[in-house]
Amino acid sequence: MRNPPALESLVEALRCLPGVGPKSALRMAYHLLQRDRVGANGLALALHNALQVVSHCELCNTFSEQSICPLCASSNRDGKLLCVVEMPTDLMMLEQTQAYQGLYFVLMGKLSPLDGIGPREIHLDKLLKRAQDGIVEEIILATNYTVEGEATAHYVSELLRARGLKVSRIARGLPMGGEIEHVDSGTLAQAMMERRSVE
Amino acid sequence: MAVSTINRQDNQPVYVLHTYPFKETSLVVELLTRDFGRVAAVAKGARRPRSAMRGMLQSFQPLLGTWSGKAELKSLHSLEWGSGLLLLKGEALMCGFYLNELMLRLLPREDAHEGLFDYYAQTLKTLSANAHYATTLRRFELKMLQEMGYAVPLTEDEAAVEVVAAQSYVYVAERGACAESTKDGVSLIGKTLLDMARDDYTDPKTQLQSKQLMRVLLAHYLGDKPLHTRQLLVDLQGL
Repeated sequence: MRNPPALESLVEALRCLPGVGPKSALRMAYHLLQRDRVGANGLALALHNALQVVSHCELCNTFSEQSICPLCASSNRDGKLLCVVEMPTDLMMLEQTQAYQGLYFVLMGKLSPLDGIGPREIHLDKLLKRAQDGIVEEIILATNYTVEGEATAHYVSELLRARGLKVSRIARGLPMGGEIEHVDSGTLAQAMMERRSVE
Repeated sequence: MAVSTINRQDNQPVYVLHTYPFKETSLVVELLTRDFGRVAAVAKGARRPRSAMRGMLQSFQPLLGTWSGKAELKSLHSLEWGSGLLLLKGEALMCGFYLNELMLRLLPREDAHEGLFDYYAQTLKTLSANAHYATTLRRFELKMLQEMGYAVPLTEDEAAVEVVAAQSYVYVAERGACAESTKDGVSLIGKTLLDMARDDYTDPKTQLQSKQLMRVLLAHYLGDKPLHTRQLLVDLQGL
């Protein structure tokens, strides 16, 4: 027996979520229609609403309901510092530290040559424009320490330095409370190679 | 279980070529192994924050991998650091991605090429140590085609006559150096081919012509789909 067409199209629509195959999609659809119709309605409204009002901040490219997000609009931030991160979650983590008072730019991805993700997909043109607003003095690259993150950092730094801007990269090494005995070899090797003199 | 022990491979030298997200928290890892060729394996839970494999699943690092399974998709049990740490930076990193893409595109699964594995390892070391990226890539491209059994005759022409340094040829994939009047090939001089056979890339003309030659040869084996890494570099130049 085939499911009603409306149910079929719901299942098909749910499959656009990452990691959701035909089986999980069917399970979700049954749950929404059978067990939680209120929740399903809430989901439909929230999704519709979010699509209407959420877009990218003109300055930092993160998700925002206004054309300029509250963080970029804040007068308490230091406009001379611009921190480049891969994803909005990275921005949130950095904000939690309360150690940084500058502004951000969110790439919404990373250069990933083997997946065909290039400079266009990560909005490098927008970043170049943002960084050359005349106020920004230093760009801090806080992309991940993965091979893709490193490649992204390299190309961003090349592009920005060619335009006469100062670029720095967040440091890496032992974690807080890190004991040498328990830290992984890769991190330890990096920490040794990138050691700094004690002042 | 007896079955899984039979198909289990312990601490094999491997490199990670690429990873894809798989289900909620797992990854499919494309490994280049020395004795088993290109192997795809699932790293269960590798995307969880506290996964032991998470930091390890990085390309270009010599690793030791343990996996098992009979089907095409194996299960990856563990990864450990192999010999030493390799640091590819900047351009070298992009060259590394290019090597990986070539391997993913051209190398069939589970077809062992020990020589190619060793040459890949050596090429990564060369990339991390010096800046002659173009030459290093040319050598790897040629070695890769040869190791995989594609004939790239360099010292003799199509008719098995020795290549003459001063003569002009047109090189055609699967045929070799042909007479100058042949269509659909790469025009080059004999010296380029002889230089490549001798592994001597010091002449700028050899560098240029070998690049054109390898590009056409690779395109022949790769088919219509272009290489992402090459396109990425073109796009970056445009910014």
